[in-house]
Amino acid sequence: MKTCLSDHAAAPVLLAPAGSPEAVRAALDAGADAVYVGLAGWSRGGARGELDWNELVAAQREVASVGRTLRVALNTIPKPHERAQLFDRIPALLDLGIQEVIVNDIGILAALRRRFPELLLTASIGCGAQTVADVAFFRDLGAHAVVLPGTVSPTEMREIRTVRGISVEIMVHMVEEFILLGKCSMPSYVHLKPSLLPPVFPSEAAGDMPEGALRGLRQTGSIKRGGVGVCFKICQQPWELFADGQRVDARLFPSRQISQIAEVRAYAEAGVDVLKLQGRSLPVNLLASLVRSYREAIDAGAPVGIETRSAALPAAWTVVGR
Amino acid sequence: MSRYELNTTIANLRDLRESDLRDYDAVYLGDIYCRLYEANFLERLGDLKDGLRILRDQGKRPYVTTYAAPRNDFLPKVRKMLEASAAAGAEAVEVHNLGILKIAHEEFPELPVHVGGFANVYTAPGVEVLRGFGAVRFTPNYELSLEEIREVTTECGASMELLVHGKMPLGISDYCFLLEYEEKWGIKCPDLCQKELFVKQGDWAMKSVGKGILSGKDVCMLEHLPRLLAEGHRYFRIETVSESPAYRSEVAAVYHAALERAGGGERELDEGWWETIRRHARIGLCNGFYFGKSGMDYAGIRPDAIGSLSTISRAES
Repeated sequence: MKTCLSDHAAAPVLLAPAGSPEAVRAALDAGADAVYVGLAGWSRGGARGELDWNELVAAQREVASVGRTLRVALNTIPKPHERAQLFDRIPALLDLGIQEVIVNDIGILAALRRRFPELLLTASIGCGAQTVADVAFFRDLGAHAVVLPGTVSPTEMREIRTVRGISVEIMVHMVEEFILLGKCSMPSYVHLKPSLLPPVFPSEAAGDMPEGALRGLRQTGSIKRGGVGVCFKICQQPWELFADGQRVDARLFPSRQISQIAEVRAYAEAGVDVLKLQGRSLPVNLLASLVRSYREAIDAGAPVGIETRSAALPAAWTVVGR
Repeated sequence: MSRYELNTTIANLRDLRESDLRDYDAVYLGDIYCRLYEANFLERLGDLKDGLRILRDQGKRPYVTTYAAPRNDFLPKVRKMLEASAAAGAEAVEVHNLGILKIAHEEFPELPVHVGGFANVYTAPGVEVLRGFGAVRFTPNYELSLEEIREVTTECGASMELLVHGKMPLGISDYCFLLEYEEKWGIKCPDLCQKELFVKQGDWAMKSVGKGILSGKDVCMLEHLPRLLAEGHRYFRIETVSESPAYRSEVAAVYHAALERAGGGERELDEGWWETIRRHARIGLCNGFYFGKSGMDYAGIRPDAIGSLSTISRAES
């Protein structure tokens, strides 16, 4: 699927999200080079948009059958007893032929690097990398790839790509919320409660192990720890502003949809390896349209700075969750 | 070194000069949120050198902090700031960003590194990674409970720095929404974030410092100091970067006295301490995440100190 964008820039890989088996199929049909999914209980974003084990097995078969790759997000931050469970999952993933895993904690990344050298580890966008120095840090740590937000410009990316030895991904289609990803504790400040970690293997759901004993608990309300419900989107609720004791306004935190489809060529020429799309919770039909548009932009080598594509993006494509 | 360290943060030379620091052992200089913060030490290297000298002259351990969410174009200035800090005798640099950690470790190895709260220290393996980059002290992510912090320290023996009082950092942004008010209020940056700003909805409130969001309530661990000492913690922070010099000095006096008493095995708290704490807490107290609850919950012995959201508004109070 990888094509030549121009004489000077190799086409980046198009990495699409999928939150269901149907979405996996739709992303492939729409032209994704690779698809990422969340494994139930272990991915940022919570229960919505995750695949259970049987779905994951089926997804891997489907993706591999058309010669593309599946990446699995294991990007919550586990507690000590959950860490062992997480590590126990890895051999089963490798047995399936899944080598590419997305993680969100530098310690987990380093530990997985040591224990499973065959894994290709991606530092999640939640790791907060934005600079050339951040990318060099993750390269030194042994990451195969690092994800940067779509707020990083092609010009910045050109400097970042002076760092060799690591693949650089950019989330070209995403919501930029007021607080930077990986740097927000606002939801858990307002509400936080333990919730049972969902089962992953069918045997767990069948009750082969004591309920809650091995599956453990997650903190609902912490975006970094995943769990059911996850983020309460406090940032998307209206609030009042008080200045020096006086109510002066009622408003929302600023946020915006980033759709860098007009910059596909610029990112490619800057040396970006992967164009990643946010939206594991997107409905299948919208996901397919989104992936197809980026596919076409990559294949056409859209001219730098021409906003024909972004102007055509319908409002419904706004990502409402991860 | 004393039995413990009580430290705080000061953003600029004016605040440093106006602050009575007698009850602090150490001070971090700089504002981590914004390059445009008024006279930020991190942008004014002459002021930074003066600040480090002032701290040394007062017998305080002089530290510097660094930006929590830098972009590429911050980095040349960060390097100059680190160079100036090392030359001027800073005893440690606090880093919240992993790229800056790498720069500090490789280019200024003489500067001990303290890892700040935005660096997302959640796990013992994470601490081990950071140690490999020269880190010697760690502020755990504010979401960790005392029990979880103990799990980390038990596993890796790290020296933790705990926020014991003040407004807890909750988030950082690339964007300052206060700039939208320049025309309406007739106030320009960097004066906008010098106002006392709270965002409020229903039963929650948070403090805005432009690109940063802090807890509306003040974290207060006054009555839990004996437990913190018993669990081996020795580095305590009163977060005052957005507070007045009076807050900075009076709250420190309370904690200094309470730590001295707790270190002697006493648990009694003076009523006057509570009055001071309550007077400075604009909308009440909380315990952060230390007891495994929502960050704005209060599990202490003084429910009368919780305060009320209505006190945000002078008109209502």
